[in-house]
Amino acid sequence: MTGPEEVRNTPFYGNVGPLLNEVLHAVDRLLETDEPTTIDLAGLPFGPGELEHLEATLGTGELSCKLDALGTSRIRETAYPGVWWLEHRNPHDEVVGRYIEITRTPEILSSQEADITAGRARLEDQLTT
Amino acid sequence: MKKRPTVGEVLQAKGVSRRGFLKYCATTASILALPPSMIPRIAAAIESARRPSVIWLSFQECTGCTESLTRSASPTVEGLIFDAISLDYHHTLQAASGDQAEAARHAAMEENHGSYLVLVDGSIPLGNPGYSTIAGISNLDMLKETVEGAAAVVAIGSCAAFGGIPGADPNPTGAVAVDELVTDKPVINVPGCPPIPMVMTAVLTQFLTFGQLPELDKHGRPLAFYGQTIHDRCYRRPFYEQGKFAETFDDEGAKAGWCLYKLGCKGPITYNACATAKWNSGTSFPIEGGHPCLGCSEPAFWDKGGFYNPLSTGKFDSGTKLAGAAAAGVAMGVVAAAAGRRRQDKFTREG
Amino acid sequence: MDLLEFARGPALQVAAYILVAGTIWRIVGILLLREKPDYSEPRARGGLGAALKVIYSRSFTATPFKPATLYPKMLAYVMHIGLFAVVLLFVPHIMFFEGFLGFSWPGLPNNAIYVLGVASVASAVALLVRRLTSPVLRLISNFDDYFSWFVSTLPLVTGLIIPLRIGFRYEDLLAIHILSVVLLMIWLPFGKLGHTFLVFITRGTTGMVFERRGART
Repeated sequence: MTGPEEVRNTPFYGNVGPLLNEVLHAVDRLLETDEPTTIDLAGLPFGPGELEHLEATLGTGELSCKLDALGTSRIRETAYPGVWWLEHRNPHDEVVGRYIEITRTPEILSSQEADITAGRARLEDQLTT
Repeated sequence: MKKRPTVGEVLQAKGVSRRGFLKYCATTASILALPPSMIPRIAAAIESARRPSVIWLSFQECTGCTESLTRSASPTVEGLIFDAISLDYHHTLQAASGDQAEAARHAAMEENHGSYLVLVDGSIPLGNPGYSTIAGISNLDMLKETVEGAAAVVAIGSCAAFGGIPGADPNPTGAVAVDELVTDKPVINVPGCPPIPMVMTAVLTQFLTFGQLPELDKHGRPLAFYGQTIHDRCYRRPFYEQGKFAETFDDEGAKAGWCLYKLGCKGPITYNACATAKWNSGTSFPIEGGHPCLGCSEPAFWDKGGFYNPLSTGKFDSGTKLAGAAAAGVAMGVVAAAAGRRRQDKFTREG
Repeated sequence: MDLLEFARGPALQVAAYILVAGTIWRIVGILLLREKPDYSEPRARGGLGAALKVIYSRSFTATPFKPATLYPKMLAYVMHIGLFAVVLLFVPHIMFFEGFLGFSWPGLPNNAIYVLGVASVASAVALLVRRLTSPVLRLISNFDDYFSWFVSTLPLVTGLIIPLRIGFRYEDLLAIHILSVVLLMIWLPFGKLGHTFLVFITRGTTGMVFERRGART
């Protein structure tokens, strides 16, 4: 696996190293104050191949999920626990957003109040019919 | 006036779950360049927003802006926005034509008086009303009539925002920008040739979401997209700092993807989101394709000297005038020396 | 026309006329002056050799004055070398010169230029502090000294601010930088900054006069 040390030395455009440092500081914040961080990758400059390089560097951890809501989303913990890679796709399977979340569980994994209420109503309907 | 459904209702009717909605809000925050911490506020605002009526006017333009918008990168997000707005008049996209089309425009204006949005692409000729007309109505008259009851006007593309190619020197039609004519309504400029599709829809989304105008820069552009230069967000920026530049379009530097400053890149003075939003489904942007930025979202970009002249080049006219200045210097020197000699002689005599 | 267009266009153009005309005016005016008559028998011929000798020797501090002048002399060297490097080796500057000279030369990475620029400004400030705190220097300083310091330091400062983006937009900072250079170009031929082109002429003249009078140079 490629470590951050090697990333800093790769002959890319130099946009990956600083971002990994930002992730490191966000992990510190999570450990110290339990404050989560979301990094929106859409707003950051990446040269050709750098995004793939970043994704490969963070690697794959123990958990990965697939969400089907307005297109597929892939949410997985990277090789660094607490650092999550989120990729949202639309129904045409085009990527509409990429995020790195530094948190214990990404919010979108939790069942949502409105959905629980709606689901409960459906379950109740099932029982009464 | 019939009650238009809220965006939340539109999405619910489509069977979109809360998770899906949150995902939609996250991508919306992303295209609005808002921090992810704003997502809950966006969710609340979008749920209660109502579909606004939109009238799109095309004047002296090439339809490139419409082409750009309808080929936008992520159709679903844009699609949702278009589900959420009611595009009541757009003479390229609408099925109706002639009297029916004009009737649709008037109906939308009456029904939504004071609350509809007017989008304009193309500049307006002031030279002769006959230079550009729609249904026999001059561009100027149509703009004035339509804007009268609008909540706000969005000038789409560099022609509507700054005069554009029709307004380029010598400006034969007397073309002017929208904000030179519309002074009593808020005007948002979304320049670019064409503008990034996402930016166009994001400006609409922002209006839809927060019901208010975005924060604008001195050229009337939303700061969220035009707040940073191409240069500041360019992935080749590290090469600029290292002093590694492509000298020609086919040298080793160009192949290695070095900075295009020397080839005339206007990135340092161009405010736009190309470097991060990118084009063609996020594929790339001009610099990534190896071409310097032309600065198409800046006023008068077409009249700023050559596209391939480096930014730091001074704008001197001929060397003849400099030679003239040198000759004048010699003449003044001779006169000064003559005066000096006379003074020297005087001192020598007196001394 | 926005500020940058004005700075790059007419302002720079007029400043170039003034710089060229003023510089040639002063050089021609001085070279055409009559030489002072020798009232005593010349001890030596005082030719080109004498001129070159002083041009060289005055580049260094003479031993007896070392304790007094080593510090300012070193500062002056740092200031001047930094200034030359920034003006001539910063890539956008090289391209500016290439724009009308038609040829270019290799430059330094921007980070090296920033370091040299900061060193140059720091030396200039230290020299100004010395001028203001030394009673003798204060006494012999006039408007020309302070204004020349100001117009030559200003372009360095305005240039170094550009990458920092303090409160202004890039194009405005660039315009301000160019306008500060315009001010420098206009003032350069007329004040003490005239030493830019006169330094070796005056030193050489001094060398020739001194040798004729038999002074040790």
